[in-house]
Amino acid sequence: MNTACAHIIDDDEAIRDALEWQFRTRGLACRLWPSAEAFLAAWQPDWSGCIVLDIRMQGMSGLECFDALRARDCRLPVIFITGHGDVPMAVGALKKGAFDFIEKPFNDNELLDIVAQALAADAERQRAAADRETVQARLATVTAREREVMALILEGKYNKVIADELNISMRTVEAHRAKIFDKMGVRSAVELAQLLTGIRY
Amino acid sequence: MDTPPAPVPATWQLRLPYLTLALFLGTIAALVWLTRAYDEEAQRATLINDVLWMEQNMRFHLDRNAALLAQLGPELLAAGLRAPSTRASLEQLLRAESGLVRVIWLDAEGKLKGAVPPLSEAHLMGETQGAVPAASILRLARAIGQPAYGPAYEVAGGDYHFEVHVPLYAEGAFAGTAVGVYSLQTLVVRELPWWFSERYRVSVLDADGREIAAKSKVAPLSSAHEYRMSFEPPGHGLTLRITAYRGETRWIPVLLIGSLVLLCGVILWSVWQLRSQLARRLAAEQALRNESAFRKAMEDSMITGMRARDLRGRITHVNPAFCRMTGYSAEELIGRAPPLPYWLPDHTEQRQALLDRLQEGGSTPEGVELRFRRKNGEPLDVLLFEAPLIDAQGRHTGWLGSFLDITEQKRAQELARQQEERLQATSRLITMGEMASTLAHELNQPLAAIASYNSGCMNRLAAAGEIDREELMEIHLRLGRQAQRAGEIIRRVHDFVRRSEPKRIPVDINVIIRDAVDLIEADARKRRIRLLTELADRLPEVDADPVMIEQIIVNLVRNGMDAMHDNPPQRRTVRLRTGQEDDLVVIKVIDQGRGIDPQTARRLFEPFFTTKPEGMGMGLNICRSIAELHRGRLGFESNPEGGTIFILTLPVEPA
Repeated sequence: MNTACAHIIDDDEAIRDALEWQFRTRGLACRLWPSAEAFLAAWQPDWSGCIVLDIRMQGMSGLECFDALRARDCRLPVIFITGHGDVPMAVGALKKGAFDFIEKPFNDNELLDIVAQALAADAERQRAAADRETVQARLATVTAREREVMALILEGKYNKVIADELNISMRTVEAHRAKIFDKMGVRSAVELAQLLTGIRY
Repeated sequence: MDTPPAPVPATWQLRLPYLTLALFLGTIAALVWLTRAYDEEAQRATLINDVLWMEQNMRFHLDRNAALLAQLGPELLAAGLRAPSTRASLEQLLRAESGLVRVIWLDAEGKLKGAVPPLSEAHLMGETQGAVPAASILRLARAIGQPAYGPAYEVAGGDYHFEVHVPLYAEGAFAGTAVGVYSLQTLVVRELPWWFSERYRVSVLDADGREIAAKSKVAPLSSAHEYRMSFEPPGHGLTLRITAYRGETRWIPVLLIGSLVLLCGVILWSVWQLRSQLARRLAAEQALRNESAFRKAMEDSMITGMRARDLRGRITHVNPAFCRMTGYSAEELIGRAPPLPYWLPDHTEQRQALLDRLQEGGSTPEGVELRFRRKNGEPLDVLLFEAPLIDAQGRHTGWLGSFLDITEQKRAQELARQQEERLQATSRLITMGEMASTLAHELNQPLAAIASYNSGCMNRLAAAGEIDREELMEIHLRLGRQAQRAGEIIRRVHDFVRRSEPKRIPVDINVIIRDAVDLIEADARKRRIRLLTELADRLPEVDADPVMIEQIIVNLVRNGMDAMHDNPPQRRTVRLRTGQEDDLVVIKVIDQGRGIDPQTARRLFEPFFTTKPEGMGMGLNICRSIAELHRGRLGFESNPEGGTIFILTLPVEPA
C-alpha cells in the first residue's frame, strides 16, 4: 500500500463518486474515505500521495482531522475543499501548512491539477528525505579527527591554516581532506557544503 | 439651610416702659399715701387745737364761777339770802349753763351757814368720807387762800359731783368759804358748744379709767382720733377724753384716688395686653421666619427645577435646581422675556406656540417633553409641568413651571432603542445569513458533484480514442440525479417561503401609514427630518397584511431619509401621500434626496444590489415581493422638485 495516491475524505457520497470518476478520467489513483475517523483509523506513516479533505462533515471536521494528522507527524500535502469557503478559514488552514484550498463547486479540472501538483510535491519531498538519509549514512563513516578537519574546511580555511590550528603537518591535512571527500562522495569543498546544508553533523 | 439671624432684642429698651410704669405707679401710691398722711395729720392737729380750746374754755368758766362765788360769798355770810340782789346773783350763778348744782356757804369755823338749794338731813358734813362739803378741801382752801377743788364723788342718779371751796375774807380776815357743787355731767353737757359736740364725743374718766360722765351722740367713733388730757381743775386723777366722730366720707379725694387706682389698673392691664400681643406678634414673626426659611431650604434642595413667570412670560423666579439644570445663574434668567436663552435656536417658534397654548389652555398636568440647551451647549431634555400661579387674592398672576431633567433617561432610552434595533437587525441578518449559508452548502454539494461528473466527461471526450458509451451513460444518469437533488432543495426552500404567505384582512391604508410614521418618527426627529402626511379622505379598504404593508412604508421612508442625509435643513422632508386611482389605492413616498441615476434605476430591484455601504440589497427586493404578493406594484419615478417618489399601488377588492 505504499503507492502514491490521493485520499479523498468527504461525507457526501455523490461527491466521492463524482471525484473518483473524474480522477479516473485523468488516470489519477485515488482512495475514498466517508469520514475523517475512518481515514485516521486506517492511516499508516509510510503512506504517500496527498489528502483531499472536506471541511464540513458529519462527525470530525476536516480542520480537526488536519490537526490530528499534524499531531501524528503526517507530512502528506492536504488540499481542503468546502462549500463554505471563507477567507479566515482558508488563511488559517494555509498557515497551518495546508497545501491548497478550493471552493465547491470546482472549475473543470482545477482540483485535479492541484492534486497532481501535490502528488509531485510529495514525491519530491520523499526523494529529498531519502537523500538526507544517504548523507547521514556517509557522515557516520567520517572519523572524529576528520570531522574536526571537515569543520575547518567548511569554514573555508586553507590547508596551511588548518595545519597550524590543529598543529599537524600540511600533508596530514591533505590526506584527511582526500579521505573526507572520498567518504562523502564529493569533489570539492563547495559540493561538500551544499550536501551538508540543513543537516546536522 | 441658613437660618436668618434672630433679632437681638435690646432688653433695656424693652424693659424701660415697664420700669417707668413701676416708678410711676410707685410715685402715685406714695402720693396717695402722703396725701392721706397729711390729711390725718391735719385732722389730728385740728382735734388737738379744738381740745385745747375746750380745755381753756372750761378752765375759764370754772375760774369765772369761782370769782363769782368769791364775790357773792361775803354777802351770803353776812346776810344770807335776805338781800334780793344776793338772791338774784345766786340764781344767776345756779343757772343750768354754769354746771353748778348747789352753792353752800360756811363760816370761818366750817359751820354750815346756808345752802341753795338747801341741804337735806341726809347730807353728811365734815370729815367723813363722802361728806359734803368736805372739811379737808375747806382746810386746803383756807390754807392756800385760793379756790380749791375736791375730788369727784358719785351721787344718786349716776351723776358725779365735785366741789370748789372759795375762801372768803372780811376786813382782811378769813370769814368762811363759799362752796360750789358742780355736776360733772351738766358741766360736760352744758358747757360745750354745739359744734364741738357735733364733732367730738367728750367723756370724763376717773382715776381708775371708768367713764363717769359723757356727752355723746349715737355715731361711730374713729378710734384713730382720740385725745386724752388730765381734767385740771378739778384734778384728782380725772381725765378728759375726746374722741372724734367719724367724719363724713370725703368723696372727692376718694373718687380721685379711686380713679387713679382704676387708671393704674387700666394701664397695667393694657400694658399686659400689649405685652402679650407683642409676644404673640414676635412668635408669629418667628414662625413666619422659620416657615420662610424652611420653604427656602425646601426649594433650594429640590431636584425639580422651578420657574415662575408673569403673565407676559417674563421669568420672575427660578430655584437653584433650575439654574443647575440650565447652567444659567438666577441673575441671568430673572426678568428675561421669550425667546429664553436656553431655547434651541431653531425651536423658537415651537416654544412660543407651546407658550401660547398654555396661556389659553391652562396647565399641563400630564407634562410636556421639551428639549432645551444648557449654557455650555449640551442638550437638555425636560419634562415640563406648567400650572397657573394664583396669588393670595385668587388672582392669576403668572405661571409656575416645574422641570424634570430627563436628559439621561432620554439618552438611555435612545441608546436602548438603538441597541434593540441593531440587535434586531443583527439577528435578522444572522438568521438570514444562516439560511443563505445552509442553502448555499446544500446546493453546493450536488452542484460540485455535477461539475465533477461534467469535468470527467469532458476529460473523456477530450482524450483520443474510443469512448465507452455505457460508461458515459452511467455517469450521465448519476449527473442527472444530482441535478434533481439540487432541484429538490430549491423546491423545499420555496415551500418553506410559501408557508409565510400574508395574512390578509381589510385594512385602512391611512391607519397603517400613521402607525408607520409613529414607528419611525423618533428616528426622523433625531436625524432632523420632517415627516409630513397628506392622507386622502374616504380611502377604500384594501385586503392586505398590515404588518407587511407597514414594513414596506417604513422601508421606503428610511430609504428616503437616507437619501436626504446630506441635505440642508430646509430640504429634509419626507411626504407620505395616499390617494385612489380607479380601483387602486396609491401610496407615494416622496423624498427630496439625491434622486436615482439611470444605471442605478435599472438595477434597483435586483437582489443584493445596494447603494448603501451597510445595505444588504434586500430591502426594495422584499418590498416589491410583498407588493406582488398583494397583487400590487412597487415602482418609482423622479421627483420634479428633486429626489425620488416611490409609488406603491394596491388593488381594491371588488365589493
